[in-house]
Amino acid sequence: MPTTAFNEEALTHIDALFGYAMTLTRNRTEAEDLVQETYVRGARAANQLAAESNLKSWLFVVMRNAWLNQLRHQNKGPRFVGLEDEDSFDPASPAEENSNPQVVYIRKIERTQIRTALESLPEAYREVIVLRDIEGLTYQEIATVLDCPAGTVMSRLARAREKLRTLLNGRETKTRFKAV
Amino acid sequence: MSGCTDIRCRLNLYLDNELQGDERVEFEHHLRECQSCRSVAQAEKRFLDTFRSAEPLYIASPELTSRVRSVLHFPDSDTADAAGTSRSLRKHRVIATIAAAALLLLLLPILIWRAREREPRSSASSFALMAADAHLRHIRGQLPLEMMSTEPREVSEWFVNKVDFRVKIPNYQEAPGLEKLYTMEGARLVAYKNDYAAYVAYQMNDHPISLVITSDSVGQTSGGEEIKAKGLVFHYNAIHGLKVLTWSDRGLTYALVSDLEERGQKSCVVCHQDIKEQDFIAPLKPR
Repeated sequence: MPTTAFNEEALTHIDALFGYAMTLTRNRTEAEDLVQETYVRGARAANQLAAESNLKSWLFVVMRNAWLNQLRHQNKGPRFVGLEDEDSFDPASPAEENSNPQVVYIRKIERTQIRTALESLPEAYREVIVLRDIEGLTYQEIATVLDCPAGTVMSRLARAREKLRTLLNGRETKTRFKAV
Repeated sequence: MSGCTDIRCRLNLYLDNELQGDERVEFEHHLRECQSCRSVAQAEKRFLDTFRSAEPLYIASPELTSRVRSVLHFPDSDTADAAGTSRSLRKHRVIATIAAAALLLLLLPILIWRAREREPRSSASSFALMAADAHLRHIRGQLPLEMMSTEPREVSEWFVNKVDFRVKIPNYQEAPGLEKLYTMEGARLVAYKNDYAAYVAYQMNDHPISLVITSDSVGQTSGGEEIKAKGLVFHYNAIHGLKVLTWSDRGLTYALVSDLEERGQKSCVVCHQDIKEQDFIAPLKPR
């Protein structure tokens, strides 16, 4: 992709990248540094990007690799651990019909409470929710970003949504909000 | 036809737009026929819409956007030096750089003298930069309004419990006989210094106007050209070709952004339309 076209289009994804960086790092300063690092790496590799590629999805891949690289240098190891029985998850468990009152309640919940609930999720769950439900990536694109099979994306996403549903149901309405 | 259990297994795939072709047709056929599965699907869709519609959950700060712009427009030497750059071209670049440096040394005393002759103006405050950035992103469609209303009272009420200060949008158009010069479009929250600021969008003769409000303990008005009027101190900045006026009054700090002429003082009409208040705006006009 030509540099000018890359620069113009890449900049339109800065909020999405910052959101994903916050998901990965949970720290504003680290997230901002990670966003900058992603753009530096992206600009260097832009000429390798095919014209028909999904730039946002590609930038997420660049960001995740940059973050994993940082963790390796810090001798920290990836923090995507601790999911209970991911492989044994039965995707046949459907949403219960009697969940309507809960759904009605959830609809009243403000954006900040959703963010707070998202931040309470285990990192791997939060990551897949952000990529699918906030950023709108397909299962295959998420699988590419996370470097895992699409089936894992599907089961992890179903678990993450159930967890988020539980968190949102148990949360009281707050009257004062703070941005992160 | 698929059974209900099979349908509910694939509900997430359907709602995530991952079912295509015959599978999708068959799925939708079942939903039309089965009230029970349709209810479950609708409830699940409402749940997903709740947090899908909440985006963007995070907004990059103007400072970060500025840093990234620098990265993209002024890449480091490794990037700037494309792989195919020949040695001779590099040599010419070195000569040109030395020549430019020598010229700069010769011109430096003149540049310093001219800079001292000019009225000193400090750079725009971070609040003014944020307001200009929010305005630009809004008109590019990257910062959609969270509530749409032409009623100042509705907008004021919307901000209750969302920001730590009271937002009261005046409605000077209630006075009979006044021509409607502007239209309020709606409002949203914008992130500023780990908190929310209030963002209100207007239109005047196809010119977008943004009013951004925060607490004066958070937003500072330093920088730019200072203009004193009616006991207030306004700071005027031209940022990215936009006219940005910032000031503090009664515990709040405001930024008014527009592309209107001169110092954008016409944008003040969104709060000061009454003819009696025109003398309030007059000092903002360039002398």
